[in-house]
Amino acid sequence: MRTLRQPGAPLQPRRLLEWAAPARDLRVRLAGGQDLLRGLVAALAARDIHHAAVQVLAGEIARMAYLTGAEDPSGARVATYGPPTWLDGPVTLLGANGILGPGPDGDTLLHCHAVVVDARGRLHGGHLPPGDVLLGESGAVALATPLREAAFVASFDSETNYPLFQPTKISL
Amino acid sequence: MADFEEGRLGRIAVIRLRPNEDLVEAVEATCREHGLSHAIVRSAVGSLVDAVLESGETALKVPGPGIEILTLAGEVRPDAEGVPRADLRGTIADGNAKVFGGGFRRGENPICITLELVLQEWLPA
Repeated sequence: MRTLRQPGAPLQPRRLLEWAAPARDLRVRLAGGQDLLRGLVAALAARDIHHAAVQVLAGEIARMAYLTGAEDPSGARVATYGPPTWLDGPVTLLGANGILGPGPDGDTLLHCHAVVVDARGRLHGGHLPPGDVLLGESGAVALATPLREAAFVASFDSETNYPLFQPTKISL
Repeated sequence: MADFEEGRLGRIAVIRLRPNEDLVEAVEATCREHGLSHAIVRSAVGSLVDAVLESGETALKVPGPGIEILTLAGEVRPDAEGVPRADLRGTIADGNAKVFGGGFRRGENPICITLELVLQEWLPA
């Protein structure tokens, strides 16, 4: 197994876990014509949910971009994102996992990766940039598991030189 | 024929794995360290240095770095000795935006930048 040397010194522990309290899940139906990530963040914020695990169960996309990984030529990080790949719809979302939590600037962020199939039957997938996944007419369905007592909160990670979600105790 | 196990979902584990930890071994170690014997994957977002996925008798090696984990599903259950074992499968995309799927082979899927993982405890009745 190949391992990579990160820009910063290894941090301990290597595996982090915080316990969140069980909560009632929410099925969310998003109407078409809005951005998937921004729409989900806004819909959950309206229910006062700012920390959650999210599974997108279905989605029809009119136009979208996604990002995949690449080596960072600057050497500042072991990997970065390449340029976006744009897809014209109809694109069918097959599955997506997301983590909702406060980002480095305090705004609620949905970190989401998805696998989709385009109108010609080709598979695609990657990191979804907020604002670049426009839902088609039938919208999307997601299952959100609110996280209470502990959740993901972003902070700067000196080992990888990225702001990253970290398991954190919260007072909710 | 079917086997049933009645139960309910319990506590939620909010987990991060740091770089160069093996996906399957680190999930099992985390569960062992925190007394989590049965669990299901609720959500996961992260990346791998390289990936090895199993399907049938094929082991597919996908070189990275920066392989995105697109979806992750599976469960953790104890083996005959009571040690938590993870069965994890999913889809990934490589740097050329090519998508692959399969089961993640133990010891061959090092985390690249991070894995954000939410497991929920399964409590057999």
